[in-house]
Amino acid sequence: MDAITKRTEDAKSFSFKEFGDALVEFFSSLKLAIFLMITLAILSTVGTVIQQGERPEVYIKEYGENAYWWFVKLGFVDIYHTWYFSTVLVLLCINSLTCFHQRFPAIWRSIRQDKVNVTASFIQNLKRSATVDLPDERPKVAEALGLAFAERGYRVLVNKAETETTLYATKGIMGRVAAHVAHLSVTVIVAGGLIGNILGFRDFGVCLEGETYHVPQGNFDLHVDKFWLDYYDNGAVKSYNSTLTVLENGEKQVTKTITVNDPLVYKGIWFYQSSYGDSWDRVEKARIVVREKATDKVVGEAILDWRKESELKNLGLKLQLTDFVADFGFDAKDRRVYSKTVEHENPAIKLAITEYDRQLAAPWIFYNYPDLFEIQGSKYKFELTGYLTKKFTGLQIAKDPGVIIVWVGSTLLVVGVMLSAFIFHRRVWAKVVSEPHGVTVYLGGTAYKGQIDFDREFQRISERLKTLRHPTA
Amino acid sequence: MFRSLFLFDVTFWLYLAAVGLYFGYLAASKKALRPAYAGHPASSEEDDGWAQPLGQLATWVTFFGLLMNGLALGMRAYERMQLSGTFAPWSNQFEAMSYVSFAIIAGYLFLELKYGIKAIGAFVVSVGFIAMGAASLLPYRYQVAEPLVPALNSYWIYIHVSITLTSYAAFAMAGGLGMMYLLKERAEHRGRRGTIYDTFPSLEKIDELGYKSVMIGFPLLAFGVILGAMWANYAWGGYWSWDPKETWSLIVWLIYGAYIHARMNRGWEGHRAALYQVFGFGMVIFCFWGVNFLLSGLHAYA
Repeated sequence: MDAITKRTEDAKSFSFKEFGDALVEFFSSLKLAIFLMITLAILSTVGTVIQQGERPEVYIKEYGENAYWWFVKLGFVDIYHTWYFSTVLVLLCINSLTCFHQRFPAIWRSIRQDKVNVTASFIQNLKRSATVDLPDERPKVAEALGLAFAERGYRVLVNKAETETTLYATKGIMGRVAAHVAHLSVTVIVAGGLIGNILGFRDFGVCLEGETYHVPQGNFDLHVDKFWLDYYDNGAVKSYNSTLTVLENGEKQVTKTITVNDPLVYKGIWFYQSSYGDSWDRVEKARIVVREKATDKVVGEAILDWRKESELKNLGLKLQLTDFVADFGFDAKDRRVYSKTVEHENPAIKLAITEYDRQLAAPWIFYNYPDLFEIQGSKYKFELTGYLTKKFTGLQIAKDPGVIIVWVGSTLLVVGVMLSAFIFHRRVWAKVVSEPHGVTVYLGGTAYKGQIDFDREFQRISERLKTLRHPTA
Repeated sequence: MFRSLFLFDVTFWLYLAAVGLYFGYLAASKKALRPAYAGHPASSEEDDGWAQPLGQLATWVTFFGLLMNGLALGMRAYERMQLSGTFAPWSNQFEAMSYVSFAIIAGYLFLELKYGIKAIGAFVVSVGFIAMGAASLLPYRYQVAEPLVPALNSYWIYIHVSITLTSYAAFAMAGGLGMMYLLKERAEHRGRRGTIYDTFPSLEKIDELGYKSVMIGFPLLAFGVILGAMWANYAWGGYWSWDPKETWSLIVWLIYGAYIHARMNRGWEGHRAALYQVFGFGMVIFCFWGVNFLLSGLHAYA
């Protein structure tokens, strides 16, 4: 009875171990790696064909309502942040880590000690092999071979026995170490990305010259001293620049002029010159033409500064530009005027009019529709004939504590991939066996990669061996 | 106004002549092969026909083409320096294509020098010529050196773009070799003798050279993409924003990564590998051209 239960227990624990081994085998397999890389490539392709992160209208217009419903269901509108995309990435990390765990120890061991003693038939079965009979003595041949290997940068180990000497020569194992470094780097990069996602942020700020903005993530203020554009001779934009000052508790900390490709960094927060454009709720100046209602003749013109009263004395008028919208919209519920988009589609200004010291009205005046409204109780009509836009500077504000880890991973990746692509692991064995009339040399070798070059090297070594037969004077 | 355009033109014609000469060389070698005894094919070096002089001439013409290509790029760099103070002669599609053809031809000449296989020239130089030809088909306004837009105006353009384009050239080479493998394999399969395919190097050698090309392109692309990420971190405020171009270069990298891993297994050499190299090159072409014209994104100017 006892024996039986023991056996079943054995079987149980055995199968459990087997299952574990199978699992490790599966996760470290080459097939899984290839499958995951191709899957990642296909998912990424989907993300480039279907635009990411657009407004629903864009998709519905392009693909129809039905397709859009599926896109949302399948996560195609933001595929790089879906659970399945992340899963593939995580699996790729697990894959490369398990591969490291499975294969690296053997490589590490072979750096320290390798299989020196092999049989002649093992050598003859290698991909490249040659057998040469020589009339010389064993120590001399062995020495010549060892020298030939050493000259080519091989590390040589020798094992001497009664009737035979075995040489083992190897080089380029670093190429395989490097491949595993590259594997590890994948996880490092993904980890860096994850850290950035959790602890970092990315924001966009539309800022105006002369204004101060609070940056809550760093608990300091940012003042925009200046914003301007530089042009090439042919009129194309060369660069755009903002001079920024960081203020902490009202005190100036640092001032820097940022431009595209040259951000400001303060307390780990990066300020990038990202874009620029015309403000949609403010203008620099506006030009107003005044006509007399009765005659429809132009009687005056004024260029108004933003929110500054100016006087037309001969007409008895005081005008003030109080508001601007780039794309006029009216919210009936809140009875509020707003700009529908950031484009200057339907620009309008709000003009406060004082005629002979009597506050008349503050009508909206439209650039595109000059004759839309008549102002009651006024002798004049007002037309908006032009305005000077106020440029805003678009600042990208970002913090990413993971980025340094990403760079470490990237460096490991590049170094690893480079070394593993250009350094090939090669192993050569030579067995010199004493015969009655000299020696027989069994020479054989394998290369992990780079077969042509190895072929050549192997050929040279075996030719060198043959020349021993007729030693030149 | 742009003297470099003349030099680019000269390069184009030289490459065309080189392609013609390499094909002529193939044809001549084929004739030379015919009287060879069975099982004892005459090597093209020994024949006394047209093959040898044609082959020599082809190599020299290619070399002068490369020289001219280099000069044209140098001249373009000078023009850019005059115009806008940055010299990178790979700042638009036209220049990038010309640079790629330069890299392909340089790579080929290196290959010829190292391995002495001329027959490859007909294919690899053709790929370089096509790159140059496609560039010269671009409308004039794409060929001139417009000043750089602000985002490109950075020292990163020198290193990121050149390295990425060099990796494309290596993949182009692998694609040409894959094509060559498939053609030769088909001819062998049908048991044809005395065709130009006999002058090709052995299948095994073509396969290995294709693999080598990929092994050069793969780390370079990795480096190029990472440099791009570093640039993006300075210019766009984030090292990775899934912009179509960067995503596609990642896709291409993953595709070749899968290839390299697949080759560790037996059965993924030879035919399959050759097919895959051609497919991979198709993906590179899409990444290089297709993305610019079909997908919108931050790289739209390149």
